[in-house]
Amino acid sequence: MISPFFIKIKPVSEFITLLIKQLQSPTLGFLIGGIVVASFGSQLAIPDSIYKFITFFLLLKIGLSGGIAIRNSNFSEIFLPALAAVALGILIVLISRYTLAKLPGIKVPDAVATGGLFGAVSGSTLAAVLPQLDSAKVPYEAWTAALYPFMDIPALVTAIVVASLYISKRSGHASDTVEIWPIVKDSLQSSAVTALLLGVALGIATKPEPVYESFFNPLFRGFLSILMIIMGMEAAQRMNELRKVAQWFAIYAFIAPILHGFLAFGLGLLIHRITGFSIGGAVVLAVIAASSSDISEPPTLRAGIPSANPSAYIGASTAIGTPVAIAICIPLFIGIAEMMLGR
Amino acid sequence: MSQQVWKLVIVAEEILSKKLIKLIKEAGATGYTVMAAGGEGNRNVRSTEEPSVSHTLSNIKIEVLTGTRELADRITHHIETKYYADYSIITYISQVEALRDHKF
Repeated sequence: MISPFFIKIKPVSEFITLLIKQLQSPTLGFLIGGIVVASFGSQLAIPDSIYKFITFFLLLKIGLSGGIAIRNSNFSEIFLPALAAVALGILIVLISRYTLAKLPGIKVPDAVATGGLFGAVSGSTLAAVLPQLDSAKVPYEAWTAALYPFMDIPALVTAIVVASLYISKRSGHASDTVEIWPIVKDSLQSSAVTALLLGVALGIATKPEPVYESFFNPLFRGFLSILMIIMGMEAAQRMNELRKVAQWFAIYAFIAPILHGFLAFGLGLLIHRITGFSIGGAVVLAVIAASSSDISEPPTLRAGIPSANPSAYIGASTAIGTPVAIAICIPLFIGIAEMMLGR
Repeated sequence: MSQQVWKLVIVAEEILSKKLIKLIKEAGATGYTVMAAGGEGNRNVRSTEEPSVSHTLSNIKIEVLTGTRELADRITHHIETKYYADYSIITYISQVEALRDHKF
């Protein structure tokens, strides 16, 4: 006879086993490898152009698979997850406005810019979660990658608008207005969103399956591992920037991805109940909410909120936010999904 | 076969490059040179060190040769009012000899 205690404890131990399995993924190994070599002051330098090419390649591939999936899917399926992505982008910024910004010694523009970056999406984190879902055999809709701009743009617009309203209110120039279109345009023109949307458009319009199968798909994991080394090295280097600002940014950067991920996962499960959106899709939504932009959005924020200190938001996002999203959130949400699928 | 001109040097954040170039051209300068820059100032080390995930932390150096001091001052004044408060940016002017005559 199985004791009630055993029944209660079994899922937890299973969950830990699943989590450890996820933690042994090569993606994470390469990331930690990058952190370690940069922390030891290695001379290793990966040229900027390689980094740019790899992110372009990965996001183009993700876009292509998304586009192919959209071609074969029903547009009404996409509506609710896209709406959830927009809501999460806005909500994440508001959370930072009413938590981080209220902490002692924190300037509101710095906090809101940090919230904007955490609401925005990281292409590298998105690239990392998809192959891990494949390895874990958790099915997801390939078009979920196309949710990226639906979360990214509202987060940036909200952050810049909230910060500008605060700054103009403080300076007494209540007439200052914030133009939204330039922010949207900046985000759409950013390298990450351009590559992703180009991929989606080509996936829908051109039937790219042959080149996808023979070129983009086989090279994806290899390039992803190189990108993870770069992200790790970048994280270690940005740690120095983060040390110069209040410790609250580091604490926020650790907690926020996990909290945002759970919020998004909850919304994803709600949509799963309503429309049959897959649990794997909810994991993708959770991970893009957990991710914080490190590629294309810092310049948009720097231009949109010039008085915010880039050491605070870039340090928080790149040094802690991205490693937490990749190392903790991806295994965590895939582990929960596997549990829910009864494995 | 040479001409005395003014060299205005601007070291600034890379994300400002498009805006600065627009400003320089609108002020009436005929040309400019842009290069990647790195170094240290009161806003900490800003370098072209690689890899760099975002270019928010990299710098550029712009050189503008102007035929008159007045034009160089006008550009500097615009930069000062727009960008000095929030960005890492320095400007300096020196007099140099341009070896190709009548160019400025």
